[in-house]
Amino acid sequence: MAERKKIIIDTDPGVDDAMAIFLALQSPEVEVIGLTTIYGNVYTTLATRNALHLVILKKLFDIPVAEGSHVTITKGTKLRIADFVHGTDGLGNQNFPPPKGKAIEQSAVDFLIEQTSLYPGKVTVVALGPLTNIALAIQADPAFIKNVGQILLLGGAFSVNGNVNPAAEANIFGDPDAADIVFTSGADILAIGINITHQVILTDADRDKLAESSGKFAQYLCKILDVYFSYHHDAYSTKGVYLHDPTTILAAVDPSLITYVEGVVRVQTVGITRALTLFYNKQKRFGEVTEWSDKPTVKVAVTVDAPAVVKLVMDRLMNS
Amino acid sequence: MEVPDISFAKKPEKIIIDTDPALLLDLRFSMPALQLAIFNVSEIYVGLLFDIYADDSMAILMAFQSPDVEILGLTTIFGNVTTDDATRNALLLCEIAGRPDVPVAEGSSEPLKVKRVGKTTYFCSDVLMGSLSSPKSEKSDLSSEVLCITNLALAVKRDSSFASKVKRVVILGGAFFALGNVTPAAEANIYGDPEAADIVFTSGANIDVVGINITTQVQLTDTHLDELRRSEGKHAQLICDMCKFYRDWHVKSDGVYGIFLHDPVSFALLVRPDLFTFKKGVVRVETQGICVGHTLMDQGLKTWNSSNPWSDYSPVSVAWTVNVEQVLCFVKENLMSLIVSVFIEQQY
Repeated sequence: MAERKKIIIDTDPGVDDAMAIFLALQSPEVEVIGLTTIYGNVYTTLATRNALHLVILKKLFDIPVAEGSHVTITKGTKLRIADFVHGTDGLGNQNFPPPKGKAIEQSAVDFLIEQTSLYPGKVTVVALGPLTNIALAIQADPAFIKNVGQILLLGGAFSVNGNVNPAAEANIFGDPDAADIVFTSGADILAIGINITHQVILTDADRDKLAESSGKFAQYLCKILDVYFSYHHDAYSTKGVYLHDPTTILAAVDPSLITYVEGVVRVQTVGITRALTLFYNKQKRFGEVTEWSDKPTVKVAVTVDAPAVVKLVMDRLMNS
Repeated sequence: MEVPDISFAKKPEKIIIDTDPALLLDLRFSMPALQLAIFNVSEIYVGLLFDIYADDSMAILMAFQSPDVEILGLTTIFGNVTTDDATRNALLLCEIAGRPDVPVAEGSSEPLKVKRVGKTTYFCSDVLMGSLSSPKSEKSDLSSEVLCITNLALAVKRDSSFASKVKRVVILGGAFFALGNVTPAAEANIYGDPEAADIVFTSGANIDVVGINITTQVQLTDTHLDELRRSEGKHAQLICDMCKFYRDWHVKSDGVYGIFLHDPVSFALLVRPDLFTFKKGVVRVETQGICVGHTLMDQGLKTWNSSNPWSDYSPVSVAWTVNVEQVLCFVKENLMSLIVSVFIEQQY
């Protein structure tokens, strides 16, 4: 078997983060070398607690959890927390007991810098929340963008409406300034936006199948999925939930599940369309220099094999 | 999907065209219309057609010809050219079309954000509102095609009942979920005055907007041009040669082997809305930052759990799909008769 791909998951668990973390832990293709935490679905402190809860559930006491930034890159403290999507505890209002494990002393940013320099070009950072930690690592260490293998991020709404407001997707909205730093950093970046993840739906019937299975994580997830399902039902009138984070993790597990194009992405940081992600593929030539000229390109996912993603999610969770 | 009711039996729509025609700009000489008519067309047609294609002059001439509309007047605006030049060119266009009686009102010379407001600034909005209140013109019987949007915003700001009086506003502008043409985020007409555009889109008027995501789908390709060349008609060859010039320019600028028909498509939207489908949604325009001039529509796919800058505004109709073949037919027919009547019959 090929060398397992080392991944660090930057996460804000989060119901679909929990599912994504379980999928990563269940996938022999990847080796999770650590979790770093961030605000988003919940505040950072709770994200750390939930991350510890999830790794201990899997009895993987050796996976380090490093706590990340509590504020945005511009030191903003008015954070948008999506507790109405994930429950006030981030895990479907289950009020699990506090985890016994502790976060490591190292900060998320230091952990990211250290691990990527230990294994230059080998570590994929899978970012499932706002991009503050990643941007801070880029700013703190000029070598980070060379050392990191790939930054695979869930964020943006490319040529579609956002999910926070018509312009903005939640992860980018969490810290648009950080997102613009990351997108224009020159690192190898693959962005998966909600234009992709809205195609990947776990239906009510799929959930019933999970509930009937003997998979340990399937059982666990079915408990925490209620809040997430009812939010989707109210907000989108759909009978199912979008698999944002699981799709992103599985793109690391099996890159052939998505296709992408390359171009420059900039993030609007002010105004009514704050956090808008605007992709420019360089096909059209503009008369004058624009804010997109001469910036490094990134990869942006354009298609996804949604049935294959859902099948992989189901298989890995039911056999857990 | 929503198909506006259209009946060709009814009397012509009264329209005002707000425009920035760049006619003759690139010829670098100003020429009275009378001279133009007797000038040897074969010597200037390329430049003339280039400009007619490159902006809204062609749509205006189409409108003059069309039995479906009655032009109440032209109002002018900066954009392709300065407002001064636009006024001169608009007067010229009226004469070319044989309609020197049509009033031309000069509009704003600057976008809204610029505070320096000249004496001529309100002429255009005076005409817009004068038409609405004049006893000759029935209320709610007026459409307005707006190309650069400042004049309309001034009218909205000056008369709170303007939005409800105007029957329909057809806007050529914006790029909806697509790349812009001035920057990746912005389309030229909106970029020219984003504040004004935002005022108009949120005014509550009955607005149809067609963006470049639609207009760039309608191209006269090399194949179409060849078809035209082979077609009957004594002027086909001349028309093809004219188109070829503009086509070569597009190859350089967009890598497209054909001709975009932005303004003719907006004219088609005005008289043949049945050739389009529309989606309704609130449209806002970004006025700050790197995405200034970006038009963003709430498609209404999600129930937002808190208010946002799109909340509580009236939706507008955004052209969503276009019947490309039918619009091409419409444009080709109009284009043929336009060129024949304006450029050839006057010549001989």
